[in-house]
Amino acid sequence: MILHIDMDAFFASIEQAINPRLKGKPLIVGSRANKLHTVVCAASYEAKAYGIDSGMPTKEALRLCPEARFVPAEQGRYIWTSENILELLKEYGFELVYASIDEFQLDIRYAPQPESIGRDIRKRIEQRFNITASVGIAKNCLLAKLASKLNKPNGMAILTEKNLSRILAGLPAENLCGIGAKSSAVLNELGVKTCLDLYQKPPLFLKRAFGKQGLNLYASLHSSDSFEGLKADNRPKSIGHSYTLPRASENTGFIKAWIRLLSEMVSRRLREQNLACRTAHLWASGPEIGNFAAQKTFQAATDDGYELYLRCLKIIAKISQKAPKIRALGVTGSNLTLESFLPLFKEQKRGEEINRAVDRINTRLGEDTIYPAVIELTKIC
Amino acid sequence: MVQSGFNPRARWDRHIPQGEDYQPNELNEIIQVLAWFRNTKITPRWFIWRGRKYKIKQITYNWQERQGGAIINYFSVCSGADLYQISFNNTTSGWRLNKIIS
Repeated sequence: MILHIDMDAFFASIEQAINPRLKGKPLIVGSRANKLHTVVCAASYEAKAYGIDSGMPTKEALRLCPEARFVPAEQGRYIWTSENILELLKEYGFELVYASIDEFQLDIRYAPQPESIGRDIRKRIEQRFNITASVGIAKNCLLAKLASKLNKPNGMAILTEKNLSRILAGLPAENLCGIGAKSSAVLNELGVKTCLDLYQKPPLFLKRAFGKQGLNLYASLHSSDSFEGLKADNRPKSIGHSYTLPRASENTGFIKAWIRLLSEMVSRRLREQNLACRTAHLWASGPEIGNFAAQKTFQAATDDGYELYLRCLKIIAKISQKAPKIRALGVTGSNLTLESFLPLFKEQKRGEEINRAVDRINTRLGEDTIYPAVIELTKIC
Repeated sequence: MVQSGFNPRARWDRHIPQGEDYQPNELNEIIQVLAWFRNTKITPRWFIWRGRKYKIKQITYNWQERQGGAIINYFSVCSGADLYQISFNNTTSGWRLNKIIS
């Protein structure tokens, strides 16, 4: 049995706990302080009642609910709360998966009373952090996650062999995690409307509809989970960062500075984990180019920010247009190996030593204490 | 106990450009504070800001953030009708009034 904990409107609930005057009111947490030029990062349940949801432009959200209060997101407090919920959950002694900043999973198959554990966890989270969580219990991760959504907010649902068919019959297939608009349209055409329809389909049916992913979906729906698969390969497959720029820009210096910053962030994390990447992946989006993504694999793996940046520049050169407007950028390193190449030349060795020294300074004094000067260009408007 | 999966710091706790978002209510001024330090718990009771004493009625939330080697303890506190964010830096042992929340 898996117990899935899903925090209710996590960021918005923390802001309401900090400022009790916001409780019971429609609240929008924006990813930036300028409420007219950002997107909704999280919305309180009162705001969700107006149709506001994450990812929506705040302009649109404020049109739907002009009286909604706006608070810019402050990540530090959400990270601290999330990590402390994790610490609280560790006390139960079950195998634990940190699924996302506001989702946690416990393998409770040996627990005598799953329901009382769920109740206790919800109670303790509310007492300690003054925010609520919803809990779902089912035989595997996918169904437990689905169950956690059934009685939101501050609720609990258990899917057992007895009630499984009845509950799944009442839920549209797109409620399942991983079934988006496209998959849902495919399923609709095939006459699969509810989660029960999907659950009852044989693996071959799902393979015909979704290929290999269909078999994975079947396995996820029917397995009796443990976290064995996760334990076997817990190393990251890729490390990446992306950012939506404050404005669409065709200024090459500005865009290059952002690629450099993202490359430095990726390489810093690679070095932290003693990893290096052979494949550089660059993603860019803008009004003229739409979504552009390309990758290139190099013979030598690297954990150096400047080298990764140079590799990304080679990729961006593939964009046929001269200086297109770019709104968002992402840099990812994949094809990870445990070590970078051995430096052949003195300059490369010096570069590595500089990286280590910079990492030590930033670890001690804060993440952006020392950084390449070109990154200053990210602040130009 | 096995923990695996997501690491929130990897996603969030990184260089975010400053200057992009001007926040007019940020103060970051040094204040004097009377606080209880019991075991690992810090409880601020009152603070003096610009010569005036503010009695803390309620701590609505507290959290920690790491700035390099320093740990900053943040508190959102009610005083009178106003809500403030104050912080204690464990390296400098200094208190600051970060902002007036509302």
